[in-house]
Amino acid sequence: MKQLLGVALGILTAIGGFLDIGDLVTSSVVGSRFGMTLVWVIVLGVIGICVFAQMSGRVAAISGRATFEIVRERLGARMAVANLGASFLINLLTLTAEIGGVALALQLASSIEPTLWVPVAAFAVWLVIWRVKFSIMENVTGLLGLCLIVFAVAVFLLQPDWATLTGQAIAPSVPATETGATYWYYAIALFGSAMTPYEVFFFSSGAVEEKWTKKDLTQSRINVLVGFPLGGILSIAIAACATIVLLPQGIQVTSLSQVALPVAEAGGKLAVAIVIVGMIAATFGATLETTLSSGYTIAQFFGWSWGKFRRPVKAARFHLVMIICLLVGIAVLATGADPVMITEYSVVFSAIALPLTYLPILLVANDKQYMGDLVNGRATNAVALVFLVIILVASLAAIPLMIITGAGA
Amino acid sequence: MTPHDDSLAPPDTYAGQVLDAQLHLLDRQVLDTDGVPVSTLDDLEITDLPLDVSLRGTPAPTIANLLTGVTLGTRIFGGRPPSSRLTRIPWRHVTDIGVVVTLGVSGERLDATWPERWVRDHIVAHIPGGRHDPE
Repeated sequence: MKQLLGVALGILTAIGGFLDIGDLVTSSVVGSRFGMTLVWVIVLGVIGICVFAQMSGRVAAISGRATFEIVRERLGARMAVANLGASFLINLLTLTAEIGGVALALQLASSIEPTLWVPVAAFAVWLVIWRVKFSIMENVTGLLGLCLIVFAVAVFLLQPDWATLTGQAIAPSVPATETGATYWYYAIALFGSAMTPYEVFFFSSGAVEEKWTKKDLTQSRINVLVGFPLGGILSIAIAACATIVLLPQGIQVTSLSQVALPVAEAGGKLAVAIVIVGMIAATFGATLETTLSSGYTIAQFFGWSWGKFRRPVKAARFHLVMIICLLVGIAVLATGADPVMITEYSVVFSAIALPLTYLPILLVANDKQYMGDLVNGRATNAVALVFLVIILVASLAAIPLMIITGAGA
Repeated sequence: MTPHDDSLAPPDTYAGQVLDAQLHLLDRQVLDTDGVPVSTLDDLEITDLPLDVSLRGTPAPTIANLLTGVTLGTRIFGGRPPSSRLTRIPWRHVTDIGVVVTLGVSGERLDATWPERWVRDHIVAHIPGGRHDPE
């Protein structure tokens, strides 16, 4: 019984923790401009993150080594430092977007300027990282994040024309109002939002934090293989909501209030209240994850002591890095930079950075010294190689498409 | 196989498993005796060969120290720091080499971890709650 509860809790937190500001904004933007025609990308991205996260979790559980230790060891100092530079900066960009997301969500609840919420949100994030146990932090934000299920409920309440919705999703075509280049640009953005690299830093380091062993692998596999696809369905629901309400009226997504608008139309005040709680939990949880990821990547590259399972004095430089990153995030947002804009760039840059972490993990997952008998099976390797090609193509195409489309304008 | 190669006698004994420095040592995590990370193995220092002497008969160089600190910068960007600036962990502390390099001593007293101690003593320990376990 206790085991069953553990499995259920794991799945629920995986669903609730799946969405972040990148998914909220990108799915909504895509729905409001392209309808359901890009839903296939969400499906692809979810399969990709399942393969990738599962592999990095397995490597961490068996070898006790987290992602960036492996990146350093496999790529050597020179390549790894370039990788660290790119991964760290993109993670910092995502971190900034997530703090901005918390502030925007709090603005919805309070109508106080987001710029005023930013330092408050960042301080709360630091306090949790400083004092709260890893498992509690994960479970609370994950469970509250489940409030975002209202998006799925709203789709039904809005009584859409199901035939058109599914038709667009199953037989996608570029809408007449958009060009092929913007379509593919947003395809990459959506792919990047589903497969953000920080999730992998966080997932593998989290496996070390929670001291996973071989025994926990089944549980983690269930969490990933059930939780992530269900989280992906929420992402599709957000796109569907935007397709039903925002697309026909030509409403542009420039803030979280447009993301929540369809829910307001479907379920009124109560639904909005629930969606705001969900948004705060999702963005707050993702801020915690990206902040920790910034500490993880740097500490693992240099071989410093890291982890929330240690007291802050036992992992001093790790905690200092996170404090500095939060301060940088606050500083960037204090300039009045638009969090939604930062989010849109962060997901595309995430797609660009994906091969940097994906390849070393794939190599180590096949290394007997690390993995013993638990190296990748043939099926996993086949799927992983297909994704390696997709990730490389998306990564290479992202910058040219960004230039051609003027960042999706 | 040139005749020149033939003239080299095979080594008398191998001490044990053969390790490739690049593959099995460099860039691996170094843990102390309690499993606490000390640093990454940034470079190796090997014993000097005598100058202006025929190499025949001189023993092969051995690893003297693990290096960390500034060495990483020069390894990436080139150059060589003066010997006095190197942060060394003596090779005799190493007790195990696997996926990680394990030391038989506590990292707490090594020169390699002084930046960690500095940040701890001057910054982190002063922030309330820093000395306690997370709850």
